Amino acid sequence: MNDIKTIEDYLLGHLSDDDALLFEANMILNSDLADDIKLQQNTYAVIRQYSRQKIKAEITAVQEKLLIAPENQNFLQRIANLFKKD
Amino acid sequence: MNKNRLSTVELREAFFAELYKKAFLPVARYVSRMGGTIEEAQDIFQDTLVIYYEKVVSAEAEIIVSEKAYLLGISKKLWLQHFKASSKNQPLDDLDMESVPDQQPASGRILHYLKTAGKKCMDLLHAYYYDRLPATDVTVLFGYSGTHSATVAKYKCLEKVRETVKQHSLNYADFIE
Repeated sequence: MNDIKTIEDYLLGHLSDDDALLFEANMILNSDLADDIKLQQNTYAVIRQYSRQKIKAEITAVQEKLLIAPENQNFLQRIANLFKKD
Repeated sequence: MNKNRLSTVELREAFFAELYKKAFLPVARYVSRMGGTIEEAQDIFQDTLVIYYEKVVSAEAEIIVSEKAYLLGISKKLWLQHFKASSKNQPLDDLDMESVPDQQPASGRILHYLKTAGKKCMDLLHAYYYDRLPATDVTVLFGYSGTHSATVAKYKCLEKVRETVKQHSLNYADFIE
């Protein structure tokens, strides 16, 4: 638990210069710590992917709502006209 | 831009709808001029909104003078990348608009597992790290008794997800080195 918080503080640049230096020295001496850091970076990447999929689903829902709203039909027609092949 | 405007699905919906009305027409015009289809314009605009959202909530958010011009700029960049990747659709995950190092794509299996087994945790982590909501907002949204409990829950979830990632990485080389 502390370990996970310290790694986060290090990765987000929240440690003081002295603490960061100490942490980096630890990283060299302790290969488990280095592995954990890598793992935690991968974890943030997974969270980001999950989040992007979720926000994209929200955007798609907004788009679908706009497409069926009667008040937008003029606007949508103007857009459709841009892609007309003549 | 007040970040608190975007703390709930409803607020985000209004935000995205407004951006559609403001900037989808010029983006569609550009894509059409470049020989793209309406579907491509829609895809590009969706990815544009994701990138713009990330920008708005990020710690280093800057003042954007013209949202319309800014969105069109992102779309143009995405179109050119899309164009370079030939007819193949490049998923958003491969685009690196932020200078965040170490963005290895996770395997679909991990994400699938987390979506089902750990949805509550993932949503909490999403709110903290992606939406970057302050602890006070997270506390209210997720019904914690106080910011301290919310923070403890965040680290517990992070630990849980880290353990999942670890298990999956041990099984297979799920991450591209």
